[in-house]
Amino acid sequence: MGEPAVEVRDLSFSYGEKRAVDNVSFSLAAGQILGLLGPNGAGKSTTIKMVIGQLQPDGGTIRILGRGMPAERDAIQAGMGVCFEEKNLYAAMSAAENLRFFGRLFGLRDIDTDGLLERVGLLDRRNDRVSSFSKGMRQRLMMARALVNSPALLILDEPTDGLDPVSAIAVRELIRAEAGRGAAVLLTTHDMHEADELSDRVAFINAGRVLVIETPEVLKLQHGTREVSLRRRVDGSVAEDVLAIDAPDTAQRVAAALADPDLLTMHTREATLEDVFVAYAGRGLAG
Amino acid sequence: MTAPSVAEPAVGPEQPGAHDRPGSASIIGAIMSKDAVAFRRNRFLVLITVLVLVVWAVVYQFLPDTVDETFSVGVVVEAGALPAGEDFIPGDLTATDGTGVQVNGYPDAASLAAAVEAGDDVTAGLVIPAGFAADIADGATPTITLLVPAGLPPQFEALLATAASELGYALSGTPSPVDLATSTTVVGTDRLGDQVSLAEQMRPLLLIVVLLMEVFALATLVSGEIVERTAVAVLATPASAGQFITAKMLFGTGLAFSEAVIIGLLIGAFGTSPVMILAALLLGALVVTGLGLLAGSFGRDFMDTLILGMLIMIPLMIPAVAALFPGAGPEWVKLLPTYGVVDVVVGASAGTLTWSQAAGPLLALAVWGLVLAAAGAVTLNRRVARL
Repeated sequence: MGEPAVEVRDLSFSYGEKRAVDNVSFSLAAGQILGLLGPNGAGKSTTIKMVIGQLQPDGGTIRILGRGMPAERDAIQAGMGVCFEEKNLYAAMSAAENLRFFGRLFGLRDIDTDGLLERVGLLDRRNDRVSSFSKGMRQRLMMARALVNSPALLILDEPTDGLDPVSAIAVRELIRAEAGRGAAVLLTTHDMHEADELSDRVAFINAGRVLVIETPEVLKLQHGTREVSLRRRVDGSVAEDVLAIDAPDTAQRVAAALADPDLLTMHTREATLEDVFVAYAGRGLAG
Repeated sequence: MTAPSVAEPAVGPEQPGAHDRPGSASIIGAIMSKDAVAFRRNRFLVLITVLVLVVWAVVYQFLPDTVDETFSVGVVVEAGALPAGEDFIPGDLTATDGTGVQVNGYPDAASLAAAVEAGDDVTAGLVIPAGFAADIADGATPTITLLVPAGLPPQFEALLATAASELGYALSGTPSPVDLATSTTVVGTDRLGDQVSLAEQMRPLLLIVVLLMEVFALATLVSGEIVERTAVAVLATPASAGQFITAKMLFGTGLAFSEAVIIGLLIGAFGTSPVMILAALLLGALVVTGLGLLAGSFGRDFMDTLILGMLIMIPLMIPAVAALFPGAGPEWVKLLPTYGVVDVVVGASAGTLTWSQAAGPLLALAVWGLVLAAAGAVTLNRRVARL
């Protein structure tokens, strides 16, 4: 197996006396999506800033695309695309002009701006100034900008923030397509559903430390309950029965419930990523 | 909204991220081009730039570009003042190149006093009394009345009194008791017939204001990158902080210099020493760029930047204002960064400044430019690093 697209080892950074990132390690292979999850102030953004070369670590190593960051920053950044949480676009320039400008910074004079804008549903607004764009449109343009250099490493900070549900789904498909193309994707999000749906693995970060890195499925299985919830209408109200999956009569009871005309819903009660995070961190993501 | 479609990647080589790294010049050029677009589309910056250029060029056309060097004196010769048979003939006493003393005759003291007070035709007046020539011939001391306008400096009044005395002897036909051989040596360039006009005096001020306006422009562009955090996006590409700052410096210097050259051409500021003035303007543009970077780095929003720009502009205009009143400026004005621009522009456009004389002010200007540009670059670098 070749070298990972991203390999971070024992990364540390302090703001004065405050330790923001404390011996963080993770790796990410080409074509994979790693979700960084954690509450505000957990150290996600500081970690991302070091990965993109914006901050110099106090300790640890970062290797990206086979090169060391920050020593080979310029070469690494040539193969990196970043979608920031803040909508830092040039508002006085059109969508196409923004993409062309960033293309030139990557040494690309003839990028297919129409193709990129079509991918994010902004082709018909290509000559409009960004100042006239809604928050969601700016977010989609940010995604397109992150793709101008067809990056080998795509770093996405809250990529669906501010998007309506339809656009959010389309952007998630775009992220999957980029991973399918072979790009390594490092994703931070507060949306647990999004992280669950997109990530091959998730890394929980709290108080500057990585608590666990695993696939969402494994985490949910480890921390979920093997139960089935049945909700039925009983005398005008709703009653819930919880069945242990491993109990000997569960199969018969589920079959009976399916035949019951008063059955409203039937769900397995697996853990959510939020549940798993609470289990590891002892606190919720909202903090 | 049309739902975004997911299509195959539109750009990029087969191997993701396998690009040639762009050269430094290419990155700097891209940032400068983007800044030019941002400048062009900022209505405030375009408005103040065009307005200043147009207004200054128009105002300059209406400023007097010549100085009337003729000194007009009104004279009343009362009846019996001169020897019988001699008449007083008004005229130009010296008549050299339109300069000298123009003597105008008036019928009586009242009309002469009115003319002096109005100040239209004469600057001062003399009343030669009746019996003037006879009194001199008898060895007496006749009194010539000198009429001067209120506010005339005492030294001019004394000069006029001496001139009146000489004129009196000339009119009476009697030799002056003192016969002086005079010889005049003009120290420096003799500007007789070519005095510094108001238009010339205004040139440094016009140039300095145009240069300083670009403090606003650059500061606005720089603070925009910080406030909107677009600098962060730029620095996440192969562009380095050094290239980003270099682009800002080149753009700012180029913008300020080119606008100063345009207004310089419109007001004919280059005279006989265009290279010397261009050098001063280029170094002045560097000073302005450093100040723009500083103001932009500290500004947290547009109003902040505007106020900082004003605070910088006002003291830096003092040398140009002082040039309107030669000799009136205090010594500390020479310590201001823009003094060198004014000093060189005044001297070079008058044709009185040699390169060896200009070397000092230009060197001081260069030092100011480098110090301020370095301070601006360091400040911006720190500000960007903290984003």
